[in-house]
Amino acid sequence: MRLPQKKLSIRIDGELISAVEGQTILQAAKANGKYIPTLCDLEGLTPVGACRLCIVEISGTDRLFPACTTPIQDGMSVTTASTRLAHHRRISVELLLVERNHTCAVCVSNGHCELQSLASAMGISTVRFAYNYPKLGVDLSHPRFVLDHNRCILCTRCVRACADLEGAHVWEITSRGIHSRIVSDLNQKWGESRSCTNCGKCVQACPTGALAAKGCAVEEMVKRADNISSLVHRREVQV
Amino acid sequence: MHTASLERPNAAERAFIDQVIISRTGHPGALLGILESVQERHPNKYLPLETLEYIAAQTNTPLSRIYSVVTFYALFNLQPQGDNTICICRGTACHTRGSRNLLQSVRLELGLGLEDASETSEADKTLLTTPDHKFTVRTVACFGQCAMAPVVEVNHRICGHVNERTLQREIRTVERESY
Ligand code: SF4
Ligand code: SF4
Ligand code: FES
Ligand code: FES
Repeated sequence: MRLPQKKLSIRIDGELISAVEGQTILQAAKANGKYIPTLCDLEGLTPVGACRLCIVEISGTDRLFPACTTPIQDGMSVTTASTRLAHHRRISVELLLVERNHTCAVCVSNGHCELQSLASAMGISTVRFAYNYPKLGVDLSHPRFVLDHNRCILCTRCVRACADLEGAHVWEITSRGIHSRIVSDLNQKWGESRSCTNCGKCVQACPTGALAAKGCAVEEMVKRADNISSLVHRREVQV
Repeated sequence: MHTASLERPNAAERAFIDQVIISRTGHPGALLGILESVQERHPNKYLPLETLEYIAAQTNTPLSRIYSVVTFYALFNLQPQGDNTICICRGTACHTRGSRNLLQSVRLELGLGLEDASETSEADKTLLTTPDHKFTVRTVACFGQCAMAPVVEVNHRICGHVNERTLQREIRTVERESY
């Protein structure tokens, strides 16, 4: 039997809401219809706090906290939007855009990409940093899917979907810093990976055009990341 | 990109790996310790892909996790290492005291060619082995011995205030010793 969970009250943007102990700020905000931008978070997957887009202000401290990994505390007062937050979120998105080759006009996910939607919602039409233009490969070896490193933002949603949900743990991040890449098995080609079950969960979880179904032309890859979340919820239902 | 080599662990190696796994399992950071001991035992101080596969199978670790760990830490090698290792510090202090020239002169000295433009993007990571497997030249981000800059490590021995001449002498010495 589950113990009844303790109710806590917190303030989000001044509004008093009641939340359950153990929830993160992001979960409490979502449950109450409050929007916080996110990229690496996907409901159902273990949060990792990689993208820093969900940063919020908490009264009483100058530090910014990622809403997706910070648990709520009773009496906490959270601010989800301010000039300061917008400034930092904008930097994060700009840096993601310059790191790889996000050429939306020729991307399979053009129009259905979480990075693109965030950038346009934030009014980012130009970036103030120099583009990195790395020469990165595309892995076409899988019979059904494609991995394009040029679009990857290293959010690890694919890593977690494959490890936590499918239990195959095909993906990880190799190297570090600017040299980090998504890698399958021992740096084998995806199509040669013996652990991949071809389930496609990683593709649906990926927020950008980095993972896509084969044969999609520009704009044709529509992801169903919510399928991942609902799959988790269905598994949680106790019969 | 790594093109790690294939080499199936033989029975003795497998026995050693099994032994290491038994002694380490349950301790925090077990995987790191296992990989380190196995690499240390290899005559060429590296981890062949098939060894990684074997460790993955025996410890029930996903292959990608193992690959991620061995590529995250500079300590692990996926390529056979030369008999002697020259490790040149490319940290800030050593850089300002001319470690780039040291690196270039060692490369020339050992016939490894000069750095080309395509490499500069990965300048923080040089790892070269001579075709006869006598020498491996690599770089490190800082030895923590900045007061002695420029610092070069020759077969795990730290040498400070190195110049091209003293470095050349060091190389000659280890070369002679390894015959
Ligand atoms: S298709 Fe499924 S098993 Fe294969 S890598 Fe993606 S999530 Fe993992
Ligand atoms: S491939 Fe997609 S899901 Fe995986 S890390 Fe890159 S952007 Fe994220
Ligand atoms: S969504 Fe919280 S850090 Fe990415
Ligand atoms: S920079 Fe070379 S030892 Fe610190």
